[in-house]
Order: sequence, then C-alpha cells, then structure tokens
Amino acid sequence: MRPLVKSILSLFLLVSLSGCWDQTEIDMKAFVVGIGLDKGKNEKINVTYLIANPEYGSQQGGGSTNEPATETITFEANDLIASRNLANTVIAKEISYDLLSVLIVSKELASDKNFIRWMYDTTKDREIKRNTPLLITEEEASKFIEENDPKLETRPHKYFELMFEHGTETGLIPKSDLIKYFRITEADADLFLAVFGTNKHRGGGKKGDGYLIAGEFQTKGKTNKTNLLGSAVFKEGRMIGKLTGEETRISLLLNDTADLPDYLTTFPDPFNKKFRVTTKIVKKGKNKIDMLYENGTPTLKVNVPLTIEVLTDHSMTNYGKNKVKRDRLKAYLTTRITDKINRLVTKTQKEFKGEPFGWSLQARKNFLTIDEYEKFDWMKTYPNMNIDISVDIRFGEFGRQSELPKLERVRD
Amino acid sequence: MEKSRGKIGIREFVAVVILTIGTKMADDTPAILFEQMENAAWMGPLLIGALSIIPLYFLTNVFTKYKGKNLFEVTLYLLGKPVGYCVLFFLWVIGGIAITIDSSIYTDIIGTMYFNKTPTLVLYAILMGICAYGAKKGLEQVGSFAWSVLFWIKVSLFLALFLTFRQGNMDFIYPFFGPGKWEVLKSSASNLSIFADFLFLSLIAGFTASPAVFKKGIWISLVIVTIELSISLLSFVVLFDYEPVKMLNYPFHETIRYINLEFLPNIETLFFPFWLVALFIRFSFYLYLNALLFGGLFRVKDFEYLIPTLATLFVFLGMIPETPTFSIFDFREPFLKMITPIFFLFPCLLWVMSKAKGDMKT
Amino acid sequence: MRQSIFQKLFHNEKYKNQQFSEKDSSEEIAVKKQTISTNLNENLEIFSKLYLIPQNNDVNIRRFLVQGWHKEAALLFINTISDTNLLEEQVLKPLSKNEGTFQSVEDIVTAPGIKRVQVVEDVLIEINRGNAALFIEGDQQVYITSVSNFQGRGIDKAENEVVIKGPKEAFNEKANTNISLLRKKIKTESLIVESMTISKRSKNEVYVLYIHDLVDHELLNKVKERVTKINVDSIQNLSMLEQHIEERTKSLFPTILYTERPDRASSFLEDGYIILLMENSPGSLIMPATFWSFFHTSEDHYLRFIFGNFTRALRLLALFITLFSSALYLSVTNFHAEMLPPDLLLAISSTREIVAFPATIEIFLMEIAFELIREAGLRVPSPIGPTIGIVGALILGQAAVQANVVSPMVVIIVALGGLSSFAIGDIGMNFAVRLSRFFLILCASVFGLYGLTAMFSIGLFYLLSLRSFGVPYFAPMTPKYTSGNDTVFRSLVWNEIFRPGYLKPQDMKKTGDVSNGEKQGQNRN
Repeated sequence: MRPLVKSILSLFLLVSLSGCWDQTEIDMKAFVVGIGLDKGKNEKINVTYLIANPEYGSQQGGGSTNEPATETITFEANDLIASRNLANTVIAKEISYDLLSVLIVSKELASDKNFIRWMYDTTKDREIKRNTPLLITEEEASKFIEENDPKLETRPHKYFELMFEHGTETGLIPKSDLIKYFRITEADADLFLAVFGTNKHRGGGKKGDGYLIAGEFQTKGKTNKTNLLGSAVFKEGRMIGKLTGEETRISLLLNDTADLPDYLTTFPDPFNKKFRVTTKIVKKGKNKIDMLYENGTPTLKVNVPLTIEVLTDHSMTNYGKNKVKRDRLKAYLTTRITDKINRLVTKTQKEFKGEPFGWSLQARKNFLTIDEYEKFDWMKTYPNMNIDISVDIRFGEFGRQSELPKLERVRD
Repeated sequence: MEKSRGKIGIREFVAVVILTIGTKMADDTPAILFEQMENAAWMGPLLIGALSIIPLYFLTNVFTKYKGKNLFEVTLYLLGKPVGYCVLFFLWVIGGIAITIDSSIYTDIIGTMYFNKTPTLVLYAILMGICAYGAKKGLEQVGSFAWSVLFWIKVSLFLALFLTFRQGNMDFIYPFFGPGKWEVLKSSASNLSIFADFLFLSLIAGFTASPAVFKKGIWISLVIVTIELSISLLSFVVLFDYEPVKMLNYPFHETIRYINLEFLPNIETLFFPFWLVALFIRFSFYLYLNALLFGGLFRVKDFEYLIPTLATLFVFLGMIPETPTFSIFDFREPFLKMITPIFFLFPCLLWVMSKAKGDMKT
Repeated sequence: MRQSIFQKLFHNEKYKNQQFSEKDSSEEIAVKKQTISTNLNENLEIFSKLYLIPQNNDVNIRRFLVQGWHKEAALLFINTISDTNLLEEQVLKPLSKNEGTFQSVEDIVTAPGIKRVQVVEDVLIEINRGNAALFIEGDQQVYITSVSNFQGRGIDKAENEVVIKGPKEAFNEKANTNISLLRKKIKTESLIVESMTISKRSKNEVYVLYIHDLVDHELLNKVKERVTKINVDSIQNLSMLEQHIEERTKSLFPTILYTERPDRASSFLEDGYIILLMENSPGSLIMPATFWSFFHTSEDHYLRFIFGNFTRALRLLALFITLFSSALYLSVTNFHAEMLPPDLLLAISSTREIVAFPATIEIFLMEIAFELIREAGLRVPSPIGPTIGIVGALILGQAAVQANVVSPMVVIIVALGGLSSFAIGDIGMNFAVRLSRFFLILCASVFGLYGLTAMFSIGLFYLLSLRSFGVPYFAPMTPKYTSGNDTVFRSLVWNEIFRPGYLKPQDMKKTGDVSNGEKQGQNRN
C-alpha cells in the first residue's frame, strides 16, 4: 500500500498548498464596504469603492496602525462586475464584495432612464446579496463617500449598519434593500422608497424637526456632516421625487409591509399654541383597507389604528387627569394626522401618480387570478381613486409621571 | 444481523424518500412550477400529491400482493418476458436521463452559487464519486445514512423556512389562484412526474422489512413530502412575490442568501452542508436503483460493482450540455411532462394485469 | 481481480513463504505426548530434561518418603510462582507424616484443589501455571495441587476512566482478581468463566465470560471461533488479542471495547455482551461494541438523568468541535468569508495579514504541535510532566503569535479542538477522531465546505458499514432494534426496559412492570 498512500498524500499536499480555484486567503482580499455609482459618459458609470482597512482598530492590545480606516477609489467602468478587475490596477488585493453593506447612488444616476439596467447587474454577481441597502445621495456618490467622515464609528461597515438600523427605527428613513427595489419594480404597482442622504448643507431649517429632508437639518459641533433623512421615490425603477422625513414617516404608517413603527414626534399644543406636545406614535395593529369598486372609480377605505403616548406637557394641562381635555386632544390629533395623511395621499396621486404604501397588496385580495389583477392595473387606477382615510387614536401612557403641579402654585 | 442484510426498516425507507423527493424544493423544480403557476405554485404539490394517490394506490396494492418481490420481478411476471424487458429497459433509460439531468443541475447550483472558479468537472466528479461510494456500500447504508442525518437536515430546513416566513409578507400569496383555477390544476397534472420517484421506489419494495412497511412508508412519505414542498414554495412566494420569483433559477438558494440570523448577516453557507448531505443521499440512492435495474436487465449478479462505472458514465453525459442552467432547463420541462403519463398509467397497467391473472382475488 | 493486482503491486509476498533453517523439534513433541510411567526416576528424568534442571534455577524437585506406603515420592514445582508455604502445610507435611496404609492421595493431601493427569504435556501445563505435581513411585497418575501464587499488584483506582460518583476499583493484571471483581458484582450461577489456551508456546489463556442464560449462543460461538482460530506463539495481553480478533484491522475506528472498570464490564455482561479477560491485562475486552459504547462512559448512568444527559450533550459537542473546528475555520476563511460577522472577518483578516504562511499550513503547524505536546507529555517522566504543558501551551503559543508564525485565531481554534478531544474518554475513539480530523482538514483546505461535507459523508457511510461481530456500528439507532434507547442520550432508568436487541439476548426485558420506586403499589395497567 505504501506507494499508493504516498502518491495520494503528495497529490493532496500539492493541491492544498497551491491554493486552487475558489480558495482565497482571507487576508488577500480587499473588502469593499460601499459601492458608489455615478453617471459617467457614454452610458458608462463612475464606480466608487469604499474599501475597509481591516488593520484599523481591530487589534485590541498594541499593533495599532497609522493607516486610515478606509480607502476610496473612483473610476469609470461599464458595470459593477467589470469594475472589480479594473480596480486592481490600483488596489493591491483582490476586490471582494463579501462585506458590501451599502450601495450608494447619486440622484442624477437614479433619475436616469437607464438606471435600472445597471441595477440588474447586482443580481448577476455572486457576492452581492439582495439584502444590501440602497442609499440615494443628493450630490455625487463619489463625493458623498469621500466627505463622509464619521468621528467615532470610523469603521465604515459598522457606521452604515448602525445608521440604517437606527434611522429605520425612527422612521425618518425607510428600509430599502435591493430585494424590495426589485420586487416593487417588477410588480409594477407601488412606488419604492429609498434612503435619501447627503453631506451638503443647504440651510432652510425653519421648519420643525420632522419636516426636513437630508441637507436641511442643522447641527453644530464637531461631527460628521452626513445626514440621512427622508426618502427618494422610485417609480418603475427610476427616481421621480423625494419625500421629507415626516412624509416618509407617514408613508411608513400607512404601509403594512414595513415594520410596525414607533416614533417620537411633536404637535402644537391645542391648549397653548406657544408650546408643542411631544408624542410617541405606536402602531400596534395593521391598517384596515377595503376596496369598493361599484361604479367606475374605485374607493379605497383606509383605517389607521394608532396608539399615542403623550410625553411632554409644557402647557401644564395635566391630560392624564382630565377626560374632557384628553378627548379634545384626541380629536385635535385625529384631525391633524388625518390631514397630514390626506395631504401626502393627494401628493402621491397628483405628483407621483402612484403610492408607496404597499396598498396594492391589499387590493390584490379582491382578485382571484393574476390576470384579473393585472387588467385592473393598480398603478394606472390609483391616481383617480377616491381615498377615504380615517385614523383611530387610542391614548397610551402620559409619561412616567402622569401628573404635574399647577404652575401658579409653583411660582407663588 | 447478517440475516437481515439488505433489508431496510420503515424509518430508513421514509428517510430516504423524504430526502430524495424533498430535496426537489432546493433545485430548479420550484422554478418550473413558478413559471407555470406563478404565486399559486404552492398549491401545485398539494394537487400533485392528491393526484398521486391514484397510481400509488395501485402500486402499493400490487406490491402488497407479491410479497418480497421487486418492481423488476413483478413486471416480468405480469407483462411477460419480452414486453417486460422492454418496459424495464425503458424505465432504466428514463432513470438514467433523470440522474444525468438532475446531477448536472445540482453541479450547476454548486458551481454558480458557491464555487465559481472550480472547474465543473471536478465538482461533478466529487459529487458522483461520493454518491458512488455510498451506493456501493448498499441500500442499508444509504438508508441508515439518511435516517441519521434526517433530523439535522430538517432542522436546518425548518430554520430556513422560519426565517423566511418571518422576513416575508403573507400578502404576496394574493391573488389567490394565480393564473386561474384551471391553469393550476392543469399544470399540476402535467407535472405529476415530480413524484415519479415513487414508481422507482417500488424497485426496492422487496428490500423493505415487509410489504406493510413499503405501503406505510409510501403513504407517510407522500404526506410529508407534499407538505414540505408546498410550504417551501409558499415561503419563496412570501419572500420574493410572484413576479421576481419567476425569474430566479434556484429560489431556495436565493432565499438562504437573503435571510439573516441576528448577528450573522450571511447564513447561506450554514445551510449549504445540510443541503449537500441531502444531495449525496439522493444520488447515492438513484445510483443504487439504476444499478439494480441495470443488473436485473443484463443479469449482473453483483450489480454493486457496476456503480462506479455507471457514475462515471453519468458524469460524462452530464458534462455534455453547455450552460446547464438553460439547456437542461429547456430539456427538463418537456422531460417531466413526458414521464407524467408513464407514472400515472404504469401502476394502473400492473394492477389491471394482476387482476387479469387473477392474483387479486385472494 | 482488482484486489490481486493491488496485492501484487504493494504486498511483499515473498517473506511469507520463505524457508528458514529451523531446529527439528519432533523428538521433543513425541516426548510430551507420552503418558507417565510407573517408574518415578524415569519420570523425573523426563521432566529434568524438559526443564533443564539444574540450570533452570527456580524449578525444584523435592523427593521424600511417604511413611505409610513406604514409597518414594517427588514434588515438582516452580518456586517463584507457587506458594511454598501452602505446599509444605497441605502436601508435604500430611504425606510424610502419614502412617495409614490404605488412604488414597486425595484423603491425605489437605489442599482444596487436586486433580489427576496422565500425560506429560498436561503435567507441564499445570506446572507452568504455578501448580505442584506430585509423583509417586509405582503410580501412573500425577497429582496436581493448585498452589499457584503469581505476583502482581493489588487492586488500584481506575486511572484512565475516572468517575466522580461510582465505584473506583479497576482491573489489575491478575485474571483471578479480575474474575473475582466481576463475580462480586454479578452473584449468579449463570455467570460462566470459560478458559481457553490461545497461543502455542507461551500458552496464554483467555477467559471468556458471559451470562449463560442471556447470551446469544450464535454470537458466543462466533467469538470463541475467532479466538481459537488464532495461530501464534504468544499473545501477551488483551491489547494484542484485540488486534488478532477484530474485524477490520486497518480501520480507523475500533470495533472492540476495552475497559479497565469492572463495573462497566459487569453492566455489559448483564446486557448479554461477552467479555474477555486475560492474565497480565488490567482491563477487559467487551464485544460486540457499537459506536455508542465508545461514546458512553459509566458515569453517564451513575449521574442522575439530567446530569448524565448534560455530560452526554457536552461530549457530543466536544466530538464535533474536535472534528470540525479547524476544518471549519479553514473552509470559512478560505472559501466562504462572507459567512463571518463583519467585525470578526476584519479581525481575522488583519491578524492574518502579517502571518507568513497560508492558513492551511498554519493550521497544520499548530495541529501537529499540539499532537506533539500531547504525545511528549504522555511519555515524559511524571515530575516534568506539568512543565511540558506550560512550555507547550503557553510559551509556544504566545511566542508563535508574536513571531507572526501563526495568527491568534488559529491558536484559539486548535487549542479548542485539542482540548475538546480530551472529553472523548475511550482511547480508541479518541485516536479515531483525532486522525479523522486531519482528513477533514485536508479536504476543507482544498474544497472548502464542499470538501468538508463530502469527507464527512464518506466517513459516515464508512462508519455505517462497519460491523462488530455482525452488529451494525450505529445499532440500535439505525438500523433500529428494540433496546433501552441508550444512544446519544439515555432515557430514564426505569424506561430502559429492554436489553439491546441486536445482541439477540435470550431474555429481552430487564425490568419488571414496576421498576420505579414511586410507582410501587400503583396500578400501572
């Protein structure tokens, strides 16, 4: 047996040492964390790679490095796949999309009619996952990546992961990954919302906190200029408009496919216009959506159940103790929220001619076959529909301590 | 012990069947069903399962009559020598084609989803090499192997399905009947052959511990496989919606690439080994059946020695088509449609012949 | 066909048929076959020649006169293995002081064990066993009194199969003690101790123990047949015997269980297994053995249900960690890096960056280093033992990382795998697992998870095809047999109703209807 064993063993060693085929040592890869896409010349795109430096901040004791956390490179390429090899003229290691945690696209490219062609490249590449988030930037993606300079979360994958995670929790940005983009585009019934961000500052922060869109939020101090706020609206795979932070929140409230929201927001105090009440809006159940189509234009009845917790009481009204005032507050909030929703719905009907609320899924229930549903053509019918919004509010808690002292007595 | 060599109990029998037919949810079978039935594809397996009751009833009936006999002996006995040989040879060819097609599809999955740069021949050779090794060890070992890993494979599948349903949206199953009730029924009927493996299973009817085991095993596994396939198809729809799911070549692998588990962002390689093990069992079993049939046809007594040769043959046959994703796909669909009548009619024929011979009386 | 080609290619057949110049011993054999004559001197001459007296120092011939009969008599014994005091008290004294004339030898000699033999060969066997042979002038019989007294150590604590809650005594090198330890635990007349001489020159004896009315006699015959078929000059102990009777000698996995614990052996006996004991072996062989018997320890049953199963779960985990940790690390980092959580991925990448070797070499370096430390630690004289551990584990690991020879991650992985391997108690299984780990590592380094899974499947197929005396290796899990369901986990003690069915015991049930104390008196229907 000996010669046989020897030959098998040596063959094995030979193969295993030569590092064959799919084998790549983990330290021979350059991990691309973010890809930026910009419009290039002649139907080409400018690809920007944000490459993480594994040595940065990973060693706990000693071995710290003076190298920067990231390396960026921008160049013109035909697509996302050919760009891998092109990048290697500059980058020493093999480009890998294993760690890809964000796809950043400039507004300019996203609005291009050919944008969808490049997007489908991501379904071809093995390493790009369908759960990669999509981020649309006001400026060029390359510029956005270069100027993005987080002070504490310097490791880029962590930064983006946390930004998206907490951004979606507050509802100021939607959850937007590739699978959703493709699904909505292919179903051709709803609008897709993508995260909108920038690190340009435009000012214009005269409106309240939630009314803004990325670039309008004012901060001071030494921090990153990047802010993600609001959303980009896509119709048929192409960007057609923007929603502000508040509109994004409302659209998420209306959307049952989104995670159940839980927002902090403020309303003018009905008892003292000088102050605002801070509330926490929690959606505990699903919306109730009924479609009636009797004669010609269908009617959509949407009922939004909300639980609201009133967290501040600057007017010292003591809602918790007073049923009459509570009822007045409830009526006030109901009309105000219904108003806002109606305004957004009208905007989508008039401006976008489509809805980002996932209502088509509810409408589908009224059809038995795909044929019938496709003939109905939701996208075409929506702008002319009668939409009847109603909001049901239940009060939750009134803060940890529900009662406040009478102001006059304190001042005395 | 030695006396019971080659006989398998009900647990092993059911395990093998579940793993051979159940793995179909993880290849391009869902793609075929989605193509025809869109979001109602999940009803397909249920209907197919229900329709399969008819041929399977006849089949089990015939085999409980002839104790300890295999499909091979029963066919020869009922149809007479010349006709029987022809039919069996035809079955062998079908089996061979099925192995070739399926194995090249699976190799393609491994190649495109996990190992891009490794030459297809190497992947293919490893796959068939291991299956040949397993098949050569004998039916008992294949059965035991299936039983010992069944639990873990199903746990991994359950985890995958659970995560899929959690991250999916149940509303995607509407419009409820997809392309229409009749469409669904029609394409279910024409794809009946997805369960044609049951026919080949009767090749080992005589190797089960008793005819009752064979009968019970068939029914238990039919129920489990039907439900399993149906739920998996449902999970794909729920995650992707009907329009995108039609475009996926291998929905299962796209699914496990999308879902994530808390701190692990990409868990597809967590499911990959389990899927592979199921795959090895499946082809070991196919190879064994094929060699068994071949051995019977050409009177080779120690047919186990044929297995490596047959495996090599299948590797080379499977390597012929270029880009298996398409050429095989185009070939497989009509192939499935072609087998359907055989799967449906052959058991009936056996039963009728048995009745004619008067064996069904007692 | 293929087999023969391989044999021609790789086997050196020539040694087997080679002729050696050997001394012809037919004369000696003829002497041994003859019967004892009536002439005392003639007899003694034959034995003096055979034992080479007086060169042979410890073989004694003691001549004396039996008073009552007026006959010469002689005692032949080997004084290093016989109890001379006993001989004097029970044989010499009564015989020489005897004055009656009609008693037979059995009446005079007070030794409890005495028997008559007639053939030279049989006499030799008895003397070599430490018994004394009594020759009497004019008598064709030789009287054998059992006075053997071999030296050996006393009963010690079990050293290799340690338990916390349970008996501590272990087998020692004396077969009689070992049998006594077993008899102490199983007090039944059905416990049979058969002895068989298996080697030609050294006349080693094997004791086959079984419970007569439990054991499957077909199985018993098979075991006996295997043992008697051995044709060698000497088999010193059980470890050697194991290699002579096991089914697959080149297999990685053991098929016969070796244990040094009498309590474990007796519990196997009571289930219908067969046990072999030998002189000079501080242990016993249990057959047939399944995968589970190697996986279990006796403590699993001594501990309460939940605790016992917890240790089983831990052991299973340890088994998998030992097998897969290094191979998984290799396949994940080299082939499926996307699987790792991003922070870990970057951490591994950054530590690997300055390491000179590819990950495969790194793993092999550390694995081999670990095996070296382990082997060296076993062989070093015990005073320096702990030092080896410290030098090996701490200094080597730390220095290797600092010198950029290996990355810290690899040290963790290999150390974890190595540590876990100690949880598998049985030495045979331990070696099997440690060695198969290398196969897995090799395959994982070439084909990642694909190779790993492929190798694992081959291994499992192989294991499933193993049989120990006809019993499938994974019985009773698959194929299924009626049994106490003691496989990966054990059931409650009173639910272990049946003996393992694959042994075909004559009595399947080992508990009655009421075996749970609390349920005593209640109607169980």
